[in-house]
Amino acid sequence: MAEAIGWLLDVYAEEDGITLWLLTENKERLHLRMKFEVAFYAAGEFPLLRQAWKYLREKNVGLERTIRRDLFLGERDVMAITTSDPAHVQNLFRNLQGQFPSLDYYDTDIPITLRFVAQTNTHLLGRCHVTLDEEWVESIEPLSSPWEIDTAPMPLRTLTLTPDCNPAFRKPKRLHVKYGQREYSLSLEPPRPFMIGLKADLQRIDPDLILTDYGDTWLFPQLGAWSEETGIELNPNRDENRQVMTRKADSYFAYGQVTYRGAQAHLFGRWHIDRKNAMSFSEYGLEGAMEQARVTGVGVQEMARKSPGAGITAMQMMTALRNDIMVPVQKQQVESRKTLAELIRADHGGLIYQPIIGVHGNVAQIDFSSMYPAIMVKHNISPETVDLEDAPEGLIPKTLRPLLEKRLMLKKILSDLDPRDCRVEILKARASALKWLLVVCFGYLGYKNARFGKIESHEAVTAMSRELMLQAKEVAEDMGFTVLHMYVDCLFVQQEGFHRPSDFTSLMNAIEEKTGIPIALEGVFKWVAFLASKRDARVPVPNQYFGAFQDGTLKYRGIELRRRDTTLWVRKTQLKALEILAHANSPREFADHIPDIVRLVEGAKRDLRTGRVPLDQLIIRQRLSRSIEAYRTPSPAARAALQLQAQGRHFAPGQSLEFLFARNASGVHAWEMEETLDPGRLDTKRYYRLLDRAIETVLVALSGYQTSAEISGGFLGKQEESIP
Amino acid sequence: MGRTLATITQLLNETEVNLSAFRRTLRRSDQYIFDGLFAAARRHIAAIGQAESLLPFESALLAMLLEQSKEISILEQKVEELIKKNSG
Repeated sequence: MAEAIGWLLDVYAEEDGITLWLLTENKERLHLRMKFEVAFYAAGEFPLLRQAWKYLREKNVGLERTIRRDLFLGERDVMAITTSDPAHVQNLFRNLQGQFPSLDYYDTDIPITLRFVAQTNTHLLGRCHVTLDEEWVESIEPLSSPWEIDTAPMPLRTLTLTPDCNPAFRKPKRLHVKYGQREYSLSLEPPRPFMIGLKADLQRIDPDLILTDYGDTWLFPQLGAWSEETGIELNPNRDENRQVMTRKADSYFAYGQVTYRGAQAHLFGRWHIDRKNAMSFSEYGLEGAMEQARVTGVGVQEMARKSPGAGITAMQMMTALRNDIMVPVQKQQVESRKTLAELIRADHGGLIYQPIIGVHGNVAQIDFSSMYPAIMVKHNISPETVDLEDAPEGLIPKTLRPLLEKRLMLKKILSDLDPRDCRVEILKARASALKWLLVVCFGYLGYKNARFGKIESHEAVTAMSRELMLQAKEVAEDMGFTVLHMYVDCLFVQQEGFHRPSDFTSLMNAIEEKTGIPIALEGVFKWVAFLASKRDARVPVPNQYFGAFQDGTLKYRGIELRRRDTTLWVRKTQLKALEILAHANSPREFADHIPDIVRLVEGAKRDLRTGRVPLDQLIIRQRLSRSIEAYRTPSPAARAALQLQAQGRHFAPGQSLEFLFARNASGVHAWEMEETLDPGRLDTKRYYRLLDRAIETVLVALSGYQTSAEISGGFLGKQEESIP
Repeated sequence: MGRTLATITQLLNETEVNLSAFRRTLRRSDQYIFDGLFAAARRHIAAIGQAESLLPFESALLAMLLEQSKEISILEQKVEELIKKNSG
């Protein structure tokens, strides 16, 4: 009997089991098969179940009456339906549900990768040992755990393909090919030699990962078309029996905005990731997507294109599978009945304190680490444990505990490493990928479509977080600190004579002891400015500030610099202004630097006037929040879309538009228009206004408000001059 | 996202809108003071929220009073200092 050791590259369902791709230690790519049975469950009234039994008897499936656990209802009498055809389990379920819609169904939509990982204890991208009978896997054993930190990196062969321009705007002429140290480009015209060239490259390189720009929306659909045109068959899959699997484009609403996701092209036996169509690629890149695949059991191709929410849902399903809990098809938990008083008590978010407006010197920012997940784990908050005393560890804490521990461990390793160490970038990406899984987990406790969600558990987390923040505030005040600002999981504190990081250690220890949640020092600001509302200088705005840490690093939140719709030119200039101020060691030294800022702004405006600012630094980017026809007064983005529509382009809600402010009829000039804008037609006054506003944010904060010596005063405001 | 009840910020904004006729009738100089009362309440949004009251505006009024008392005690302190300085 043969055996092999290697990394698990791909798993997918077949009519007679599953296909596995193993990247072996001696660099072979093994195409393996494995028998694999999947089961799902139906529960309900017995006469109905008996009819379902009769219906299924004809279908070549295993049927058994058994007892399984529902997370909320406890043990249930169910009918287990087992099939050795994982590829068609969805069809089987849908037919059954069509016949018997009133039965409750469980475990019907669990991805095959999750079932495989749960059953074999291996993990995607993990190392394993297999014994083989020809290509059939007889047994498989894990050699690594997804919770290990130092996983031996998988020796992936990556082929990168990028067109010479964005195909949505212009027709690409060449395709850049990169493999290892080699780089060259193929002409796309005529298609025949191009297809022959690319096909030869694919066969020669045999990549594990095809990394593209616009592969989903342009390259793979285009390959299909060229293949038909030229008669040259080019199958980008490693599994030759498979075709490229495509998914349609969609627009969806999440996190308060409409987002557009292009069509997708998935491969079998190797991965395709389109960097321009990957949801969180800018956050954590390929390393992060691979880390998420490792811990969630969702394939890399899927994970790169999905939200972290899909990942955390998969992890919850996996915990359920491993603990013999059935996964319901639909969420069953609705909000329990509450009185108005109870609702008022329950329906709060995190604690947000209004900051004390003005500039403050020597301020420490301390943050609770992964506060919400830590609360869920420490206080055993899970939809099925709400209102129960001494409940065994719930599904959510069980899912989160290893994730939380791994992230803390990664962060600890990172803090011990030299920032120039070559491992830092990779570890950071992985920590960030885990962070996103943890972040969304809280939201999914209360999300109306989450499988294992219950709003009361969501509320319990925020209630606990508010309590812990108040405890932290009390501890700080008992020790003589002034709490300048609190925002959900972080505090800004100050005390006369405290300025070194070590000065704050005893405070952090005391808070950690009181709350039981780890807290870390983000840094000590030399000075930090909390901003006031632009409408009324007496009203503070939470989470809008900028400041300089002792090493000169800047930190800023909520100001123009952080906004994606601010032009690069304004952002750069505002950042330069802050960098000038970062030289000040205390608020008293600001005055020395104001002339430099004035010179900076004058210089920036002169550059703009004389055409020395490249046009691409003046691009405004805005999202379409609805279809163009739906605007009563078209926004600048809608007006830019209208210009492009006249050139035959189409836009869906959620797509973003790039444009310049111009002196013409519509006031804008879409960046992707075929003719470029004459720099003389630029609406410089409009850009001046944008810059002035951004600089004002900085200067007003420094000069207009009282300093912390007078923090308690000023109820009637300091603007007596505006009283006639 | 997904909240059933209005936030304290929304409630204060609504109350301010409901009182717009009241504000309009005030002299311009008084309007500035009136706005200051709401600014005072907005400094305590977290506390008003934590009060979990059925009538949050009661807590908002308390926040206004609090800021006023604070102002008075600061002024008292300043007066005392001035008196000391002049008599010394």
